[in-house]
Amino acid sequence: MNHKFVVGLLAAAAFAAPAQADKLDDIIASGTLRCAVVLDFPPMGMRDENNNPIGFDVDYCNDLAAALGVKAEIVETPFPERIPALMSGRVDVGVASTSDTLERAKTVGMTIPYFAFEMAVTANDKSGVKSFEDMKGKTVGATAGTFEAIALEKQVQEWGEGTFRPYQTQADVFLALSQGQLDATVSTSTVAQSNVKTGNFPGISVVGKAPFDIDYVALFTDRHEYGLLNYLNLFVNQQVRTGRYAELYEKWVGGDLPDLTVSGVYR
Amino acid sequence: MFNYTFQWKQAFARLPQMLDGAAVTMQIAILSMVLGILLAITLTMFRLSGSRILSAIARTWVEVARNTPALFQIYMMHFGLGSFGLHLSPFLSILLGITFNNAGYLAENFRGALKAIPETQTRAARSLGFGAAGAFGYVVLPQMLRIAFLPMTNQMVWAILMTSLGVTVGMNADLYGVVQDLNALTFRTFELFALAAVIFYLITKIITIGARLIAARLFRY
Repeated sequence: MNHKFVVGLLAAAAFAAPAQADKLDDIIASGTLRCAVVLDFPPMGMRDENNNPIGFDVDYCNDLAAALGVKAEIVETPFPERIPALMSGRVDVGVASTSDTLERAKTVGMTIPYFAFEMAVTANDKSGVKSFEDMKGKTVGATAGTFEAIALEKQVQEWGEGTFRPYQTQADVFLALSQGQLDATVSTSTVAQSNVKTGNFPGISVVGKAPFDIDYVALFTDRHEYGLLNYLNLFVNQQVRTGRYAELYEKWVGGDLPDLTVSGVYR
Repeated sequence: MFNYTFQWKQAFARLPQMLDGAAVTMQIAILSMVLGILLAITLTMFRLSGSRILSAIARTWVEVARNTPALFQIYMMHFGLGSFGLHLSPFLSILLGITFNNAGYLAENFRGALKAIPETQTRAARSLGFGAAGAFGYVVLPQMLRIAFLPMTNQMVWAILMTSLGVTVGMNADLYGVVQDLNALTFRTFELFALAAVIFYLITKIITIGARLIAARLFRY
C-alpha cells in the first residue's frame, strides 16, 4: 500500500467525523467552567469586603472546576435569571441552590441533591408571630423564585387569609421585615441565622421551624447533556465521600450536617 | 447555541392568570394617569401662581421626577417611606410611584404646551369678561390639554410599561409580577416572557390607536 495513502487514511480517521463533542468536552476544551451562582444568598453565595464572590456555592464551583482541570468562572445570577443564563449559553452549570422540583425538571436537567435546607420562620419582634401557625392572617413574604416562596404562597392561599408578597432579593425581604412591612418570612434556616447575625436588620428574630418539606437543591445544566449530568452526579457523590461536603458545611454553615439521601427509595 | 425546546402549551395554559394580571396593570396605569394629570395641572398652576414657594415646590417635584430613575422613585415609596414607619402596600407603592413620575413629566409637557398658546388668548378672554380663573379654565386649559394630548398618550404607554417595576416592591398581581411567579414555578422563561411581551404590546397598541381616534373626534376644527 502506498505510504502516502496510509497517512491520508489515518488523517481522515483522526479528523473526519469526530465523535460529537458534548458539553463536557466543550468545557474541558475551553479550559473554563462557568457557574451560575446567586450572590445574594448568604452563606451559599455572597461577596466579601473586597467584592469577591465567596460562599458554599462558590467553593463548590471551584472544586468542580479543579476536578475537571479547568478554571472556574463565577457568573452572578439572580434567582429568576438562572434559566435564561443557562439557555442563552452564558453559563455551563448552575451551582445556585436550585430546588429540584418536578415542574422545573421538565425544563432543565437536575443532578442528585448536593445540599439540603431546612426552613425557618423569622418574624418582626412587634408582630406577635411566635411560630409558623401564628403567620396565619398576617402579611408574610419571601424571595421571589425560591422554593420557600412557592410553598409559602400556597400556604397563604390554603389559610385563605393574610397576604403574601414576594420581593426580588433576600436583602429586600429582610429590609421589609425589619421595617415592619412584613410580619414574618420563611427562608432557609442558614439564611435566617446569617441575616439576623449581621445586625443590619434590627428588631427581627428567628422564631421557629417551618413545616415545609426539606428543600433538596441540585446542580443543573441542559436537560439533554447526559455526559455532563453523569459527571456532576459522580462529583456530588465524591464530595460527600471524600469529606469535602462536611468540610465546606462546617466552614460556611456549621452545626448538624444535613443528610442528602432519602430512605426507602433509590436516587 | 440555544438549547431550548419551546413548550407553548404550558405557557398558554397560564394565559388566564396573565390576563388577570394585565387587568391589574391597566388599573394601575389608568389610576396613575388620572391622578398624574390632576397633580400636573396643579403643579402647572403652582408655577403660574407667581408665589415663590409654590413654584419652588413645583420645580423641585419636576426635577426629582424627571432626573431620577422611576425604579428609584417606586423603591422610595415603599422602602423609603417604610423606614419612617409609613407602610404602603405594594399596590399603593407602585401606584403612587408612577403617579409621582407621571405628574413630573406631564407638568413639563403642560408647561411646554402653555408656551405654545399666545398670551393674547388670555387677554382676549379677560377682555370678554372672564375672570383669571375662568380665562385659564375655559380658554387656556382646553387648548393646553389639546396640545399636550399626544405627549399624554406617550406617558400613558410609559405608565403601563413602568408597572413592571412593581416586582421590586413585592407586587405580584400585575402582569409582570404574575409572569415572574409563573417563571419561578415552571422555569418556562422564554415562553412566558414572550407571551407577556405580546400582551404588553397589544395593550399599548390599543391605547395609542384609541387615543388617536379620541383625538380625531375631540379636536375637529
